[in-house]
Amino acid sequence: MMTLNKTRFAAGLAAITLMLLVTACAGPESGKADASGKVDYTKMSAKELGEYLIFESNSFRLDMPTQEGTTARERMMQDDLQMLCSQTRNQPSPEQAGRIIAEARASMKYPEGGIQLGDWQRGGNLAWGGFGFRLADQSDDHSRRAADGACYNCHALSPQRTGGSLGPSLTGYGKSRGDSEATRRFIYEMIYNPHAYFPCTNMPRMGYKGVLNEQAIADIMAYLLHPDSPVNK
Amino acid sequence: MRVLLLPILLACLGAGLVLAQPAPVPEEGADSIADYRRMLREGNPGELWVARGQQLFHAPRGPNAVSLEACDLGLGAGVLDGAYAALPRYFEDAGRVQDLESRLVHCMVNLQGFDRAQLLQDAFSTGERESDMEALAVYVASRSNGMPLDVQLEHPRELELYRIGETLFHRRSGPLDMSCATCHSRESRRIRLQTLMNINSPVQVREVMGSWPTYRVSHGTVRTLQHRMWDCHWQMRLPDVEYVSDATVALILYLTEQGRGGVIDVPSIRR
Repeated sequence: MMTLNKTRFAAGLAAITLMLLVTACAGPESGKADASGKVDYTKMSAKELGEYLIFESNSFRLDMPTQEGTTARERMMQDDLQMLCSQTRNQPSPEQAGRIIAEARASMKYPEGGIQLGDWQRGGNLAWGGFGFRLADQSDDHSRRAADGACYNCHALSPQRTGGSLGPSLTGYGKSRGDSEATRRFIYEMIYNPHAYFPCTNMPRMGYKGVLNEQAIADIMAYLLHPDSPVNK
Repeated sequence: MRVLLLPILLACLGAGLVLAQPAPVPEEGADSIADYRRMLREGNPGELWVARGQQLFHAPRGPNAVSLEACDLGLGAGVLDGAYAALPRYFEDAGRVQDLESRLVHCMVNLQGFDRAQLLQDAFSTGERESDMEALAVYVASRSNGMPLDVQLEHPRELELYRIGETLFHRRSGPLDMSCATCHSRESRRIRLQTLMNINSPVQVREVMGSWPTYRVSHGTVRTLQHRMWDCHWQMRLPDVEYVSDATVALILYLTEQGRGGVIDVPSIRR
């Protein structure tokens, strides 16, 4: 699937570049040229046009340096999962969903000493912080500190503060689920790559994409599971 | 203007706080924010931006020392009433689809002789510098108040850009796998405390699209749709989307068409 998509993408991009070169040369008149049959950009799919517009029309500052040491161009390039979920509007077919789940499972990397809980207080700071990976003039400086989890944007966590509601409420999570081996494994995998359970979920792949490291995941897990954490009070 | 603004704001905020007092539950919170908006409407500081925009629009400015009165916003040179309601649209003289702000930039460069790069750089107000563009945009938009959003979508370029806008809206990328749809495709969801528009709810899209540019209380200035596009991309951890770029116009065209029929009522007021 990976190879196939890449090839198709490359071929598509080449075709788009060629077609848009023609369009660009036709200039403002290309709308008319289209009617006369010379340039038919309307035959191009919206996706192909969109890809061209992102990478070739100077719409984005693609040369911005990123925290992960690449340029912003890489951030705009979709991986297979992003492409498939975008195309299907997050509603993959059963067959596609099966593939996504299998690939997500294969992507999992576990801590060497097993899945342990970290420090729930540190985890709380990570869960309620939004630092990390933002670009623009005051780009987040990761040499100063690591990225937060920004969990609160989408999840209700501790009852004292209001979190978002894009994802399910996690208030009282440890109290209701307990702290078994299976629970730990599930939470770890949900944070690392949630598509193993919910193909094309809106939740980011915090571990797989390197947003959170092992220690940060362990700390956030402690914040969710530890009986002393405000989440479970 | 600043001197005037502060007491108005404080008075409004005071009124808002009284209303917002018992608001621990999100639903009640949403209600009190709606009340807060209604209260503020009476003394919306954004009106000061409209007045300043009017002054800027009709005054001779730029290296060529002419006003923007010869600017064709789609209904003919100098016709302001109803022009915003049919934007974005294809402009023959520019050879591209333009939204309100890209059209204003076009006129400021071609009629008044302003430097395009400088205009783009100064488009958003910062703590130190007040943007002319925000004032101009909200003034021109306000001249369509009471009218329904009604983009043309006839020219092939308009149709093309609409389809691209729809695709971009749903295109996931970046370290957080986000697209606009991640936050804006389900009902009654909040990011933090902020209620999110649902693209699948025509009523909501009409209300939102008819109410920008808006006075952002937390920013202390009027913000435009272009700023909203930039801000969302920044929040999604994506690269800066360039002011008045094709990507922004595509998204704005898509959103405006989804909001077709929404009645324009600006400046509104938001957190």
